[in-house]
Amino acid sequence: MMAVVGVMVGMLIGALPGVGPPSGVAMLLPLTFGMDPTSGIIMLAALYAGTMYGGTITSVLINTPGESASVVTCLDGYQMALQGRAGPALGIAAFGSFIAGTIGVVLLMLVSPLLARWALAFGPPETFALMLLGLTTVTLLAGEDALKAYISMVMGLMLAMVGYDIIAGEPRYGFGIPEMMDGIDFLPVAIGLFGLGEVFADAEQVGKAPVTKGRYGLRDVLPSAADWARSRWAIARGTVVGFAVGMLPGAGPTVASFLSYTIEKKTSKHPEQFGKGAIEGVAGPESANNAAATAAMVPMLTLGIPGSATTAIMLGGLMMWGLRPGPMLFEKNPQFVWGLIASQYIANVLLLILSTACIPLFVRALRVPYSILMPLIVIFCVTGAYSLKNSVWDVGQMLVFGVVGYFMKKLGYSPAALVLALVLGPQAERALRQSLIISDAGVGIFFLRPISGVLMVLALLAIAVPVVGALRTWLRRRAAPKQE
Amino acid sequence: MRKADRVTAALLVAFALSFSAGALKYYAYWGEGGPGPAFMPLWLGLVMAVLASMMLARRPRPADDIVDWLPHGEGAKRVLVVIALTVAFVALLKPLGMVVATALYLATVMRYLERHAWWFTALVAAAAAAVNWAVFAYWLHVPFPEGMFWTF
Repeated sequence: MMAVVGVMVGMLIGALPGVGPPSGVAMLLPLTFGMDPTSGIIMLAALYAGTMYGGTITSVLINTPGESASVVTCLDGYQMALQGRAGPALGIAAFGSFIAGTIGVVLLMLVSPLLARWALAFGPPETFALMLLGLTTVTLLAGEDALKAYISMVMGLMLAMVGYDIIAGEPRYGFGIPEMMDGIDFLPVAIGLFGLGEVFADAEQVGKAPVTKGRYGLRDVLPSAADWARSRWAIARGTVVGFAVGMLPGAGPTVASFLSYTIEKKTSKHPEQFGKGAIEGVAGPESANNAAATAAMVPMLTLGIPGSATTAIMLGGLMMWGLRPGPMLFEKNPQFVWGLIASQYIANVLLLILSTACIPLFVRALRVPYSILMPLIVIFCVTGAYSLKNSVWDVGQMLVFGVVGYFMKKLGYSPAALVLALVLGPQAERALRQSLIISDAGVGIFFLRPISGVLMVLALLAIAVPVVGALRTWLRRRAAPKQE
Repeated sequence: MRKADRVTAALLVAFALSFSAGALKYYAYWGEGGPGPAFMPLWLGLVMAVLASMMLARRPRPADDIVDWLPHGEGAKRVLVVIALTVAFVALLKPLGMVVATALYLATVMRYLERHAWWFTALVAAAAAAVNWAVFAYWLHVPFPEGMFWTF
């Protein structure tokens, strides 16, 4: 019963922009204090799974990500919705999340202590190398113009510099405005660039028709056999990438979802379909972010180190219940640990049942005429941005980025690259500066440690390969007239 | 499109150089034992300047010229009206409060831009503002701006 309530409330909260997984878990945490720890953690685990899926619903239906891990889902999920395939997009996300979540729980159960040691080997150089690798995925989010994707990415990093410097504590680019000292939060930016930007772009069309047509039965909206054939390996790869990245402290699910998208586009026989409604572009990242959400529990349970903002809040809950996360938790409170693991299984099963049952209902929302849906989306965006910190300033930021998003869309820049950089920027900067402090300004630290060395080489290759390709094309073009 | 790209690139070069110059002028590049607050902004500004210069210098691609990126006529008017109404909505959030501003925004867009019937417009505006208040303010305890008319 606790898990059912958790999943339902989680899906609702996750679908509301501004009230993502960390806020949802934080809001419901006090309600669980009256329960015994096992019931409490079951409810929170179910809520966490529900919120992760809730963010997907708005990404697919109205191009507005509920949280950072759902940003990449907008790229192909919303395009599928425009083609009348919101049901299969939501369906494959639900099944992918279920499969990835279930495999993630098995891995959590079997190899937690072993994997935790690997997570511990991640110091600042490895974190920076991973962030750099994540940032290089922008070339594949770009569509046809990699240069504009890089410009969008660097702009995101520049925006991430606004606010208190995370090491020296000095305010930067605040212009004396108190609200600027806190920096630029990714959520108003993401809601503006994706949700509001899309509304402004769609406003051009007079009498825009509803995007879906046809039947809305459960069978009609679920993925077809062909969808499954295209998605199965995307789900498998997303699960592996998600679990591996999710264990590492930091932006696990977000990096995992972007890396998964990159891998899918790279390995696809039809990379040109990505960004235009490729189902693998939804299946892979959605599986990855769910596997990463499960994997984030590995360092929390075995080492007492939270892998994400949500697990940090859950860690607080564990301590308030008198439990001490760490290596001894498995020995001292086995009933609690196995209760948590069982609750993850239950949460995943319930999430699959409830989300698939609700898909026809979600998809029907798109039948509302656009002349009514459009102002409702604006209100949804405004309320979501406001709810983040109860601040009209954030709403203003969202509005500015809505206009920026409109022009980015028109001029072919990549909003996803900007949001990714804004999310990863502060962590990348901290890791870079910490590494340079440790090494006394020597860059060798990034290449001489085995994990960071491999990640750095991969990141540099990801940057160099398109540059070399562009150079070769340029040289060929220059040589061509001479031959004639 | 090509002209728009060149103008954007020129603006980005100017912005990037000011960003780097501002970093060097106001913050320390190197602090005690390591990079200071200006370290990353300086390099990011320079990288942006290089990327934007590359865009400024590159030859036009065949696809660039045929794309008409700005809307015209009725489409342009609608975009400007929606943006203006949304700006007004956000500006009125504090003086009117979230609930009244929400209802007013919906009513204005639905009635004057989309030409829905009065009774239908009023019904949707009132229902949406009420549901928004019930979910966020009542259930999730988000303290909505109250404004001069609303004292919940």
